[in-house]
This record gives sequence, C-alpha cells and structure tokens, in this order.
Amino acid sequence: MTRKGKNTARLALLNMAFVLLCLVTLVPVLYALSISFSGQGAALSGDLSFLPHDPTLENYRSILCEKPFLLWLKNSLLLSAGTIALSMLCAVPAAYAASRWRFAGRRGMLRALLILNAFPQVLSMFALFRVLRLTNTLNTHSGLVIIYAGSMCVFAIWNMKGYFDTIPREIEEASRIDGASDLQMIVRIVLPLARPAIIVTCVMVLITVWNEYLFATTFLLDSQSYSLAGGLYQLQSNDYSRNWPVFTAASMLASLPLLLIFFKIQKYMVSGLTAGGVKE
Amino acid sequence: MRQKSRWKPWSYCVPALLLILVVIVFPIAYTGYISLTNMNLYHWTDYGFIGLSNYARALFKFDSGFLAALATTLVWTVLNMAIQIGLGFFIALGLNAPGLRLKRVYKTLLMVPWAVPAYISILLWRVGMFNTEFGILNKFLAMLGFDKVDFLASNGIAFLSCMALNLWMALPFMISTIDGALQSVDGSLYESATLDGAGFWVRTWSITVPAIRPIIAPAAVMTTFITFKQFDIIYLLTQQRGYMTGATLNTVITYAHQNAFASNNYGLSSAVSMLLFVVIILFSILTNRSLRED
Amino acid sequence: MKKVTALLLAMLLCFTALAGCSQSEPQGSGAPPSNPPQNSSSPSEPVTITVWHDGDEGIMQTIAGQINAQLADDQITVVFEKKTDMPNQLKLYGSDASNAPDMYFYAHDVLGSFVAMDIVAPLSDVVDTSILANHLPMTVEAGQIGGTQYLLPVYFETLVFLYNKTLWEGDIPGTTEELYDYMVAHTDTAAGTYAVVNQHTNAYNVSPFINGFGGYIIDENAKPGLTDSRTIEAATYNQKFGALQADGDYNTVTTLFNEGKAAAIIGGPWLVSGIEAAGIDYGIASLSDIKLPNGSGLAPFSGIQGAGVLKVALAKKDALAKVLTAMASPEVGVDLANKSGCAPANNKSYDDPQVTANEMIAVIQKTASTAQPMPNIPEMGVMWGPVETMLTAINKNGADPAQAAADAQAAAEQAIADMQ
Repeated sequence: MTRKGKNTARLALLNMAFVLLCLVTLVPVLYALSISFSGQGAALSGDLSFLPHDPTLENYRSILCEKPFLLWLKNSLLLSAGTIALSMLCAVPAAYAASRWRFAGRRGMLRALLILNAFPQVLSMFALFRVLRLTNTLNTHSGLVIIYAGSMCVFAIWNMKGYFDTIPREIEEASRIDGASDLQMIVRIVLPLARPAIIVTCVMVLITVWNEYLFATTFLLDSQSYSLAGGLYQLQSNDYSRNWPVFTAASMLASLPLLLIFFKIQKYMVSGLTAGGVKE
Repeated sequence: MRQKSRWKPWSYCVPALLLILVVIVFPIAYTGYISLTNMNLYHWTDYGFIGLSNYARALFKFDSGFLAALATTLVWTVLNMAIQIGLGFFIALGLNAPGLRLKRVYKTLLMVPWAVPAYISILLWRVGMFNTEFGILNKFLAMLGFDKVDFLASNGIAFLSCMALNLWMALPFMISTIDGALQSVDGSLYESATLDGAGFWVRTWSITVPAIRPIIAPAAVMTTFITFKQFDIIYLLTQQRGYMTGATLNTVITYAHQNAFASNNYGLSSAVSMLLFVVIILFSILTNRSLRED
Repeated sequence: MKKVTALLLAMLLCFTALAGCSQSEPQGSGAPPSNPPQNSSSPSEPVTITVWHDGDEGIMQTIAGQINAQLADDQITVVFEKKTDMPNQLKLYGSDASNAPDMYFYAHDVLGSFVAMDIVAPLSDVVDTSILANHLPMTVEAGQIGGTQYLLPVYFETLVFLYNKTLWEGDIPGTTEELYDYMVAHTDTAAGTYAVVNQHTNAYNVSPFINGFGGYIIDENAKPGLTDSRTIEAATYNQKFGALQADGDYNTVTTLFNEGKAAAIIGGPWLVSGIEAAGIDYGIASLSDIKLPNGSGLAPFSGIQGAGVLKVALAKKDALAKVLTAMASPEVGVDLANKSGCAPANNKSYDDPQVTANEMIAVIQKTASTAQPMPNIPEMGVMWGPVETMLTAINKNGADPAQAAADAQAAAEQAIADMQ
C-alpha cells in the first residue's frame, strides 16, 4: 500500500512538472495564438494577457481565402513526401551497409561525411543555383527535393546507423537461414526493428523541409509553387509589410499539420524490439 | 563470397554518395574555385582567375575580433550542448516513466517549438518575449513590481537570451531522439538489476546511459555542428539591419558575415568561407573523439 | 506506420482537390504568371512583361492596373511579382536569360550595384528619355549613374512627422530644441508612454539629423563621412532624443504609436494603413519645418521608387518601350496618389486637384525642398552596417561619439576596399 501510494505521489509530481514544462514551452506560441484571433488594430498588445483583443476569425479567413494557402500546403506536403522518400531510399541502404559490414574505406567515408556536413550551407547558395540551372531544374519541385534530400542525407545515414548498430546480428542470421535476400531482410526485419530511429529521422526530414524558406523562395520563382514556409516568408518577413494578426494566424495554420502528424505518429515510436519482436 | 562482398557495401552506398556529391561536395568545390577568382560586383559575369591573392586578404579577417568570436562560439556550443543533452535526457526519462498516461499529449506539446519555422520563432521571441515595452517577460516583471529589463541590450544578458531561444528551438529534437533511443533499451536488463537491489539512479547511470550513448552520439555530434554554425538566432535577435540592440556578441559565422560577406566580393568571401571550413574541420577533429564507436 | 502513410496520402489528396478551388481566387498581384514566356515582341502576339519588386502589393497593383489598361490594345500585360530580398535575388537571376524578370521596381539606392554588376540597361536603349521631361529633377537625377539614366522614377517618399491629434498638446514645435523640451516633459519611460518615437539607431531614420547638420554618410566619390565633425555632431545630438524614444525597433515604435502610447512618430507613408486600421486620428507635419540649432530644417533622405530594365530582356524592346512610356504617364502618378497616397515623380500629376489636396503628399512634396536623395553608388550598400553600429554604440552603449565614429569609419573603409 505505501509503495503504491508513493508511486501515485511520484506520478502526480511528474504530471505537475510536465504541465508546468508544457506551459513554459508554450508561452510564445500562446501569445501568437492570441494575436492571431485579434482584430486588425490591436496587433501587439501592451497588456499581459493571453486573451485576444476584439476576438475575430477574420485573420484565418483572410489567410485561407485570399492567399493560396491550400496550394502552398499541398506543395509543402509534396516536397516533404518527395524528400522523405528520396533521402530514405538513399540513406537506409548506406546506413545499413555502414552498420553491418566492415569494409575498406568505411570509417573514412563516415568521417568524411560528417566533416562535409559541417560546411555552412548558406554559403552553398550560389553553387546550388548553378547546379539547378545546369540541370534545368530551377523553379521545379524536383530540384528542391534533390537539394533537401542531399542536405539531410548525412544526418539520416549517421542517425540510423547508430540505431542499426544496436540491433543484434543474430536476428538477421536467423532469417538468412530461411533464405531471405538482403533486401527482403532489410525491409522485413531491420526496418521494423529500427522503427523509432526511422521515424525520428523521417520527422527530422519532414520538419526541415516544412520549415525551410530560404532555398524555397530562392529557387522557386512562381508564387504558385511555394511551400508554406516560403510563401509565408514572401508575404510577411519584411517588418514594413507585416500584418501581425494575419502573420501569426498563418504561422499557426502552417504548424498545425505538423503537430497532427506528431501526435498520430507517437504510437509507432515503440521499437519492434521492445514491442516483443525478439521475444516472440 | 569474399570477392563479391568487397564491392557490395559500396554499391549500397552509391545512391547516397551521388546525392551528397551533387548537393554538398560540388558546392564546396565550387566555393573553392570562386575563391581563386576576382568575382565581385565589378566582375560579376566576366570574372577571371587571380590565384591565391584572395587568401592573402582573407587571412586578415582572422584577427583578434575573430578570436574573440571563436571563444564566444566555443562557450556557446559547449553550454548549449551540455544543457540540451542534460535536460533532454531527463525530460525523455520522465516521459518514459511507467504509468504516465498523458505521455502523448505532453510529448506533442513539447514538440510545438519544432513545428514553427525558425524565422517566425525568432521574430516571436524578439518582439513577443524580449521587447522592453510589450514583451511578455517584461510584462511579467512589471506585474511582480520590477523594472524593465532590456534582454538584448548588453552581451551577457543577450547571450543568455539567445541561449534560451536556442534551447527552446533545439530541445524538441533532442527529446525525441533520446526518447527514441530509450525504446531500444532491453527491459529485461532493468528487471534483473532491480532484483539485485539497484535503485532508480543507479539503474539509470549503469544501464540506460551506456545503452543509449551510441544511439544518440551521432545526433549529438550533428547538433553540435548546427549549434556551432548557428547564425539566425544571434543575427536576427541582436544585429538585424535597422535595429541593432546594443549587444556586440559575435559567433564565427556572424563575424564573417559582418566583416567579409557584406561587401559582395564573392571571391574574397569564398576564400574566407574555405578558411572557416578549415577552422570547423579542426573543431570537428576535437569533437570526433566522442565518436569512438568501434 | 501504414496508417500514417495513409493519413498523409489522404491529406495530400484532399488538398490537391481543395487547391484547385483556391487557384481560382485572386492571387495578390496581377494575372497568374502561367503564360509561357514570350521572346518575340511583334505587336500581333500578346506579350507579358514581368516586374520583380519587394514593396507593397497594393501599390504595385495600382501601377499594373493603370499600365495594363493603357496597353490593352497592344496586348501587353505587366505582371508584378513580389520577391523578398529582391536585390539579392537579382544577384543570382539578373543575368539568367531564361528566369530573370524583364524589369525590376525598387528604391533608387540599389541602382549603383546593379549597374556595377552590368545587369541593367540604360533607359535610352529602350525608349527616348524625353518621357521624363516633366518629372521632378530630384527624382530624375536619383535614377542616374555617371550621367546615364537607368531608373524610371515613379513615386518618392520621405520621412514625415506623424502625430496623434488627441494626444498632442499645442502646436508642433518649430525647433528641435522645443521638440526636445516637449519630449522631456511628456515622456514617462517607466509607464511606457512617450512623446515622440523614432527608430533612433536606423541610419535612414537618423538621416534628418545627419543631413540637417550638413554631415553625410558617403559622398559621390565614395568617401565615407562618418568622422566628419558635422556627422559626429548630428549623431551626438540624436543621442539625447534616442534616450527618450524606447528601444528604437520598428515593431516597438509603430505599436507604441498605434496603441496611443506615443503621441508622435517619425516615419513614412508606409505607416499610414496601420495607423488608420488602429483608428488613430492623426496629423502630418513636414520635418523641414522643424529647425535644428544651426537654423536649417531637418533634412531626411528621400527614396525614389522606380523601375529599371534588365539587359537580358532587351529582346522585348518594343513592348518595354510602351510599358515605360505608360509608367511615366501622369495618370499612373494620379492613380498612385489617390489610391495609395504616394507622391508622384511626374510633375504633371500634380495638376489633378485631388492629388494636391492629399495631406500626406503635400507634406512630402514640401519636405522635398530639404530632403536629399539617398546616395545610389554601389558603395552605399556597405555603409548601412557601419553607420548603424556607430549609432548603436553612441545611443545604447554610451560610447564616445568621436571614438565610435572613428571605428565605424575604419570599418566602412575596409568594407569598401573589400568590394574590389
């Protein structure tokens, strides 16, 4: 009984800590949320209040109806899906190879990748412009997907390799006896076992693409093909043209799909390993 | 089998390496090439090869101001990483406490900062949090009866403000990485340890930490680089055009930006970039020690 | 995992369907740029002229509407596209024939860089510059580099003194000293109420003092003037005003004014829409009416907004000539004045009584007597940073003005040397 009581008290304390932590984390966002529901006049408020002045849905209406918001949302989804597909297709085999086989040049390759990744990418703008112009992919989503996938690839390889390392080799050997090919084995055994790492990596790629605006506004010329972050940046990055209520409403709308995906995806964050994959 | 497997690993890596070649290696090589030319406003399309003279000029950019910026950057990186990993670890541990039913809700809420594009976060914090007239922090201080504080006005407090924002933006990734890593720890290890009478902290230190270290090491190293290269936060919070706050804080990247990139001399700034890259490589050799994986 | 993929796919499908409907909605500026690029300029075929800008969509819409109405018979359509950080975008695209715009629309101060980069064509390559015969000389000269006309001036702006009629007590002072006394008497920093706010570390917003004292940021020979005794005097004088003007961030000062917590603000016509939305009853006064201790009026920079032609677009010469001619017409100025409150560059526009009746335009036109066009040489681009570092050091860190000026001058000279 005392043990149980102690546990309940501990959980209550933990819950309180998390509620507090979430509140602190959300302060800036709640502030933005309250502005997004405010009337045009009272943009930034002088009072410490999270209740909107002169509450209205007008800002959300104007974003959804007057700006090509849905089109941008579709572009963001397309770009994210394309980048996740391409980067994972390239990174999973490489991470698997680097984790499973000790081959000549392996260490050198991993080190080199890490160091290459240290080059500040903003400085690459001009060169990437040349690449896209040469391949005639300026102003196309596929060009942007290649850039995004390439810049996330090193991260994806390293991140997944670390996790693959922890998966016991015996599991694979068992299935190899069953006559499974390498590819079948990766798809059927390794990927499910490494699910948390795969998901974290995918989420990281998704978020990077979703929130990227510099390349999106530089390499896409047609406002119809912008991503959400790019379109928003184009509309509101300038102090002089910013309308705070509309800007915050748009930011909230842009972040919402990501949060929905986060929430949905958590169920799958449990590894096949701990979920009983081995023990069965 | 031996003969075949010599090339097999490389064939697995080819798609990734091709992609990296185009998107990462080529731009670096191209920057190297431009650094040897006189490409600037006056020779925008008709630039020519001028040898190493840009490097001779670029070396002057690595002066005492740069050394100060390098020191700031190192302190910035170390502090941020230590706090990020420490806090991230404990938050992730808390999230994985057995019986925590609202875990998914907490986790989603904690991920919110991650879902906001960086420039929006920075703008929100600059105007909504740190502003002297209507920032939330100052409103809060006023409510408690304190004077206004300009959170970005001088180097010390601006450093802390930038760090707070950086942590806010970066912790979600760290939490979810560590949370993911915790899933890989074999539960049976804990059971036997508990039977041996080990308490929570002992189990955490002797089982959890060693088990997740190899998994989070790559993410930690990668984040270290990102923190080292951080530009947006410090630049947009304290030295944006039209409104400099008074802090003279610089990291190596903002320093290079201020002193070499503003002049639109691409040849010279490429040379500075290449030298900066060398500095980062040196720095990475130091951090690489933590990546002894074999 | 599968469920999530399905969810994503479903979302994608939904939005593809929805996006179809959103496409038919009005898109901000001009016709959808889906027309294939035109390389021929024979009058029988429709031609689209693309113009990049980084300004107010409403203003661009007004210009495009007037030009397109004038050129409807020629089947020429002008489309304005907003590009954030347009000058840097043109550095990439300016010489890329297949993606570059045909024209750009921006303030005159970036012109020198574009000319140095050799991406803009002289107007005389396309059209007879006599179309500028009726334009205000100041605006025409601001569009010249080395005596060659590159920019077609359309409208111009200066800083003005905007005040809240309900809060301001008495008349607007005639001297800066009286203004300062008023500020001292009516500012309560702790309570967050201010008399006059200004972006006091922004070089553009401090220009009324610098120019008024006879100082300068950079002269026509590309020599920085930060250590000129008059520039230092101006920066020193500005400091005591800055101390009573909050932190000087654009967001802070505009919000203070729009919330009725500042009685006056030094700003430009771009603030008006926000002020009107906030329901403030405001008045406008010219900065040139406020005299400095040396007797001259405050002399802000003026910014001349106009259009330039890209070299890569010269194949469309005939269409461009018609667009430029239409853009120079007094009707564009009248429309801009009446719809967006911009002061036209074409003197003929002022024949319209509605234009001269506009208070903002009258004040800007009056300020033009002391205002100085921003320098447009390429070296101006690297000056903003050092000047603002100097102002910040003086206003916020209590630095010695002479020392701050010397440091900034050295940084500016280094930056100019680095350009070559």
